[in-house]
Amino acid sequence: MVRFRHLKVFMGGCILATLFICGVAAPLLAPFNPQEQRLETRLQAPAWMGGQSAANWLGTDNLGRDILSRIIYGSRISLLVGVTTVILAGLVGCFLGAIAGYFGNGTDEAVSKVTEIFLAFPFLLLAIALMAFLGQGVINIILALMMSRWVQYCRVVRGEVLSLKQRDFVTAAKALGGKDFYILLKHVVPNTLASITVVATFAMAIVIISEASLSFLGLGVPASIPTWGSMLNEGRSYMNRAPWLTIFPGLAIFITVFGINLLGDGLRDMFDPKLRRQ
Amino acid sequence: MAKKIPASSRRDFLRRAAALSVGAVVGPYIARDAFAASRDRITIYHSSVADSLHPYKHSSSPIYGQWQHIMEPLVEYDYKRKDYVGILAESWEFQGKRWVMHLKKGIKFHNGAPLTSKDVAFSIERMRDEKGGSLQASNFKDVTEVQTPDDHTVIFVTKQPLAVFLDRLENRFIISKLAADKHGDQMDQNPIGTGPYKYVSYQRGGNFVFTRNDDYWGGKANIKEIVFKKVTEDAARLAALESGQADLINNIPVHEVARLQRHPRVKIEKIEGLRMFFLAFNVAHKPFDNKLVRQAVNYSVDAPAIIKNIFDGIGYAINGPVGANVLGADPKFKRYPYDPKKAKELLAQAGYPNGCDIQLYYSAGRYPKDTEVCQVVAAQMVKGGFRVELISQEWAIFWETSGVNGGKLPFYYIGRGSLTDADTLYDQYFRTGTTKRSNYSNPELDKLIEEQQKTPDFKKRTAILQQAGKIIMDEAPFVPLYNLADIYGVTKNVSWKVRPDEKVLAWDMKIT
Repeated sequence: MVRFRHLKVFMGGCILATLFICGVAAPLLAPFNPQEQRLETRLQAPAWMGGQSAANWLGTDNLGRDILSRIIYGSRISLLVGVTTVILAGLVGCFLGAIAGYFGNGTDEAVSKVTEIFLAFPFLLLAIALMAFLGQGVINIILALMMSRWVQYCRVVRGEVLSLKQRDFVTAAKALGGKDFYILLKHVVPNTLASITVVATFAMAIVIISEASLSFLGLGVPASIPTWGSMLNEGRSYMNRAPWLTIFPGLAIFITVFGINLLGDGLRDMFDPKLRRQ
Repeated sequence: MAKKIPASSRRDFLRRAAALSVGAVVGPYIARDAFAASRDRITIYHSSVADSLHPYKHSSSPIYGQWQHIMEPLVEYDYKRKDYVGILAESWEFQGKRWVMHLKKGIKFHNGAPLTSKDVAFSIERMRDEKGGSLQASNFKDVTEVQTPDDHTVIFVTKQPLAVFLDRLENRFIISKLAADKHGDQMDQNPIGTGPYKYVSYQRGGNFVFTRNDDYWGGKANIKEIVFKKVTEDAARLAALESGQADLINNIPVHEVARLQRHPRVKIEKIEGLRMFFLAFNVAHKPFDNKLVRQAVNYSVDAPAIIKNIFDGIGYAINGPVGANVLGADPKFKRYPYDPKKAKELLAQAGYPNGCDIQLYYSAGRYPKDTEVCQVVAAQMVKGGFRVELISQEWAIFWETSGVNGGKLPFYYIGRGSLTDADTLYDQYFRTGTTKRSNYSNPELDKLIEEQQKTPDFKKRTAILQQAGKIIMDEAPFVPLYNLADIYGVTKNVSWKVRPDEKVLAWDMKIT
């Protein structure tokens, strides 16, 4: 059991590490400039599927750009949007959740009402509305996804804090004259970190898929930046003629999200005291 | 089936039920998987169908085509003769500030009432009623009065002599005043016109159905019933055509053409469209206030390469400021050749020796393959010394006062539809003060535009428009690109003549 648990974390971690390396070292790894168009060699099949050009391992797209290079560069956006959104949403959500849970009463009421308003919107619909309002761009996409993602953190942290603040060590800290924010930061929040980590990993998977969805819908980053979602969208109309345009970016999204989910699953098992005792 | 049926077990029952329901669902489709199922009905799946029963609450060519089955205009442009022909009008006279239209006699509305000048005046009044929802009012902005001296004469009085008025009268359909008076605020639910078809039913987003008008004043139509259905998704329309649900569909994506040409039951009909695509500058923004920069952009965009590679060769590059079929085109015009070196030189002369950063705006999904086109344009322009950032906006934001029509976008990709007369484009984009789309202002050009609008003679008008075109080519306030083909898929046993104006008209169709 223990071995397998670590195996999940290990495999997930490996996939995520590969993604990370791809993102950081994209200029070194990619065989071509992802933006370079060669209209005369458009829609070439992958080299091993009988394509004309041996250099294009995964074929070329509708404008003759190398698909492998675009996937490697596309990982940058996925990673950037995924990590930044998760951190920013985490900060906002944890802060609001912590004060709501700790102070209770009016604060709790106000924060809970706001989270309920946000929860009332389907997540992607809210993101689409925000993108339509904000316009294209990496920062906007991060903002839109953050606005619709912080709620999960807030709910989880609020619940944890509600139970933690009744515990003896908090009472002790209070008895010793600790200020509220000192107690929150030093005693309460650190105890919620395990849950936050799990929420964050799953949130990252959802955020990456959402970014791809928004890009697919043409609401993501500008067309000049390669992303997996926009690759899917551009390849969609060529499904009959050149399926590799959609298969490979689709696989990239699938493997990434699968890896992150594995990691999250493993981490949850690791942090679960019931499983740990076994 | 001859097997003896045992006492039915539950599993058996379920199995049979499943088979039966599959049969029930699939059966009708198999039956319809043939040529046009009925000789009496044609089903048209179109990406754009009337969004309401208000006959004037739109200004789009395919929707004009649908209404035209029920109601008719005074005049219509004949693409073959390149001139206007009378439909409800017998003849007309241009008398300075007056246009006198004589109506044909003996035409009856679907409710039996005769067509009179009162109906024309009433219809125009509704078209001018913007508060009532009409989107066609601007066509009459120069008309000060509509007079009806007798039952068969209508006189339009204009502020200044308006030679192009027939163009404004095209697609202005006449409805029955009698029917409107009778039905009051329910008049839109009872559309009564003079057309070859009569209204049957309408559901928003569903079917728009017409039946043949057997008492039509002109030649009787062949097919009894016409069904228009709005289907916006290309793939859904294609699937309907291939499965026999639809007899005719519009907007076939170019990359499907080769496959459909091998289809046993379907044929492709295509024609050079009237929508002209171009890259427009707004000269109020830097660096496009500089003519050399605008010319440099013209030299750095290779439209033929875009047609060849993005549209599989199905497109028509424009030589000159308008396409060859447009009134005012000049066969002597040549487009700017693709010459990135020359572009760099011009850019250096204009004061940008190290290149120039610009943004290209477009609205993704509005036009066929727009994102791909803009990406290729951006890459081509890099070779001409530009660094291009692509920005896609929602159509409403892109088009309205927050964008193109507010003069906010310096450089954008756009298509101007139903372009048959260069005047439409020149007036709308390049005349001082008409719109803010390009903010281009040139008194010399303004004078020519004004002059040709007063000239009734087609030949003289063409000559003036050609002169204006020459100025526009040199001043380069835009980059003319191409016309695309309008591509339709039609079941093979339906004979239909494709039109260049995006209208699908069913009265000259035949099912064989």
